[in-house]
Amino acid sequence: MEEQVGQIWDRLITRVAKQGYAKAAVTLDQVKGPLGVFFRALGGDSALRVTATTATLHKARRNWLQRVAGSGRKVELAWQDETCLYLPAQLDVFPDRQLNRDLYFWLAAMAGARVPAEVHQSRNWIVDNQQRTLHTLRQFQGLHPRYLSLVQAYIALRPEPERLKPEAAAMEQAIQQALIQPGSVTALPEARFAPDPVALWLHPDPPRSAGLLNSDDAQDRNASKGQTRQTQQRRRQAERVEKPEEQGFTMGVRHEADLFSFAEFSKMDRATDEEDNLDQAENIANDIDKMSVAQDNTTVASRIKFDLDLPSEQEDDIPLSEGVLYPEWDFKKDQLLPNQCRIIPMMSRNAVDCELPDHLQKPARRLRRQFESLSARPQWIRGQYEGDKLDLDAYLDYRGAIASSGSAHAGDPRLYYQKRPLIRDMACLLLADLSLSTDAWVNDTSQVIDVIRDSVHLFAESLHASGDQFAIHGFSSRRREHVRFNCIKDFNENYDARVRGRIADISPGFYTRMGAAIRHATDLLGKQPAQKKLLLLLTDGKPNDLDRYEGRYGVEDTRKAILEARNQGLIPFCITIDEEANQYLPYLFGHQGYTFIRQAEQLPKRLPQLYMTLTGKLLGG
Amino acid sequence: MSAVTQLDKKEELPFYEPQGDEIELFMHAYEHKLPVLIKGPTGCGKTRFISHMAEKLNLPLYTVACHDDLSASDLVGRHLIGDGATVWSDGPLTRAVREGGICYLDEVVEARKDTTVVIHPLTDDRRILPIDRTGEILHAPDNFMLVVSYNPGYQNLLKGMKPSTRQRFLSMSFDYLPAPAEVEVLINETNVDKAMAQRLVVLANTLRELKDQDLEEGASTRLLVYTATLINTGFDPVKACRAGMIEPLTDDPDIVAGLMELVQAAFGSAEA
Repeated sequence: MEEQVGQIWDRLITRVAKQGYAKAAVTLDQVKGPLGVFFRALGGDSALRVTATTATLHKARRNWLQRVAGSGRKVELAWQDETCLYLPAQLDVFPDRQLNRDLYFWLAAMAGARVPAEVHQSRNWIVDNQQRTLHTLRQFQGLHPRYLSLVQAYIALRPEPERLKPEAAAMEQAIQQALIQPGSVTALPEARFAPDPVALWLHPDPPRSAGLLNSDDAQDRNASKGQTRQTQQRRRQAERVEKPEEQGFTMGVRHEADLFSFAEFSKMDRATDEEDNLDQAENIANDIDKMSVAQDNTTVASRIKFDLDLPSEQEDDIPLSEGVLYPEWDFKKDQLLPNQCRIIPMMSRNAVDCELPDHLQKPARRLRRQFESLSARPQWIRGQYEGDKLDLDAYLDYRGAIASSGSAHAGDPRLYYQKRPLIRDMACLLLADLSLSTDAWVNDTSQVIDVIRDSVHLFAESLHASGDQFAIHGFSSRRREHVRFNCIKDFNENYDARVRGRIADISPGFYTRMGAAIRHATDLLGKQPAQKKLLLLLTDGKPNDLDRYEGRYGVEDTRKAILEARNQGLIPFCITIDEEANQYLPYLFGHQGYTFIRQAEQLPKRLPQLYMTLTGKLLGG
Repeated sequence: MSAVTQLDKKEELPFYEPQGDEIELFMHAYEHKLPVLIKGPTGCGKTRFISHMAEKLNLPLYTVACHDDLSASDLVGRHLIGDGATVWSDGPLTRAVREGGICYLDEVVEARKDTTVVIHPLTDDRRILPIDRTGEILHAPDNFMLVVSYNPGYQNLLKGMKPSTRQRFLSMSFDYLPAPAEVEVLINETNVDKAMAQRLVVLANTLRELKDQDLEEGASTRLLVYTATLINTGFDPVKACRAGMIEPLTDDPDIVAGLMELVQAAFGSAEA
């Protein structure tokens, strides 16, 4: 029943939604880059990435009546939580493109501008938004004309109060008043229905709004009502398990509904999940699955599968030791939690010695030639004022110039050779992400993992030719107590058929607990005697794991690990094939510290090139 | 060759807005013949401070902009081949030691490692400059002072300063001025009006917060002065900011676009 009504409803709202101005639409993708910079520049949290808001599943359930009643067009509103700034995927509110674009920047400004602590999110929607507007305008006076033109155009699009029923009219009047004169309306008149959404304001009840601005205070609250919250959470999870087949559908309807819900959202805090309980893992996996679907639409959905079982001991790679414990950064507590992660160094069990695959022979030959020239010996440099030996040619030229001109100042007096050592004292550790997401397909014929395998092959060939010291490791994780660190080539191992065999044997599995892997790699690389040490990270996505590592926690921990590496004098650099990378990698590696390779197929050839430019810069700069 | 400049004596002191007690510290250091190390980000006033102090102390200033090919003999001097003989030619450091004055090695970490050999004996109580090539040992006069600077922000990992060198200097750390002081500097340097100066400084401080993520380095006071100069001569503020504060910081078109929105938000009253 619900489904049928929902479909009709869906059709209805879709039709209504077409009242937007599709021709003037601006999509988030078009403005995402500049918008992110703008948001951060205005003071927005720099760890957030900008992403499209779509249906989010963690919502309070509302009864059917409310859902129908809370009518309005299908409008996506802006909000932020502790990992993302969510903005509508596309804005077509106004008939004018420029206005729609301006609206994006206005929303980012509203979300980014620093507001005093008393302006809490979602305490009182109408008052808060007016206060935010005021603060934003006060801080950035240049936004004033833009705001005015937006309001003007927007009010023209809103329902005229005279045509509404008295109750709704009063409410509409209040909203329009609040838009024109921010700060002048202190309360929304009582009404049975929620008002039309306001595209210029932030989400009335942002899902998961706790955290960010008042995370401490949120934690306190959570602590005090932890019991109820957990019950709610359990209820919600149970609900989900009961009707899995409805999820795709209810997503849409609930979204419509919750725009106007002012209450009863059960906040979810992964940090307090008792993560060691495997039974819950599946539920959590469920969460991640859906959140990914929600954020990246469909592409990721096909990519992520959850396989929680470890292979049996006989099948699995050989653990090299009991494991090494590493700390992990908890950004909420602002401290390094000691001995949180266990790195388990592993060695492939089934690797068979092999030669380079045929299709790589040709590029490998070319790369070897290029890299051999890198292993330069000391060079004699001509044309120096002083040096270890006289350059006879230059001297003869010089004497000749003097003899012919008769002047002592004719000729170039740079008569010496100087010996300059150009030793590349360089160590590089390549850390490859072997998480399950690399199981995805790049194109019809190859998977991400194939691309990574080929890249590692060519990389090893090239570095072997250059004479630089290098090591190759892969990593994946399944929660903090099981971070697999696959040794492919150690620093003191020779590059030979055995190593090639291990490269050929790499296979995807599990998740991406980046922080621990980076810490371990930092340790290994730090012990090398080389003068310059490069830590190359090859990945296809951002940090995640089954527990709270997914999201902001993982990003912050990874960032911390990278900073630690940098403080030890290593140079971390990330190579990614994730198109969303510019949303979070600058925060992790700095704007100069990563590169994005658009066509994954090119990675095998690009990786050695990149190494060359990178180390050229390191050594020459 | 290294870029060597000797400032002509001007009638008036170059304008300098103190950040703290650095002037006093510098005076004391000079009196007691102690070398000084200055660190701070690009364009925050290190060089200006030194020229100010040189004027104030009435000393000639020898500035050497260090680069990665700068060797000890570029500082000390070398034999050049003349007509049938070799001629010794003093480097800037030797000249400063002979004649007295401030020798200022800008971005000293860029220089090649062998420069430390000549810096070390000058920076302890011996205050000597041995010149191997000529067999001379120069004793620095009382009015000689060695000042070095570096920017800990960039390339610091590859080219950090060795502790053994760093511990030979009195060190002072420079940063961008606090907002009110920077406003004063802008007004003083460019005669821009106060409201405009304030807005520029707010914008600059916003940009500085983006360091390490979107930008490699924040906008320097120097860039602010350039921008204010443009604005003060009637150039459109938004365009001036683009040329003076946004484009110099990044080549990425998305970041430029985002920052221009910021500039619009700060200055955009002209167009709606």
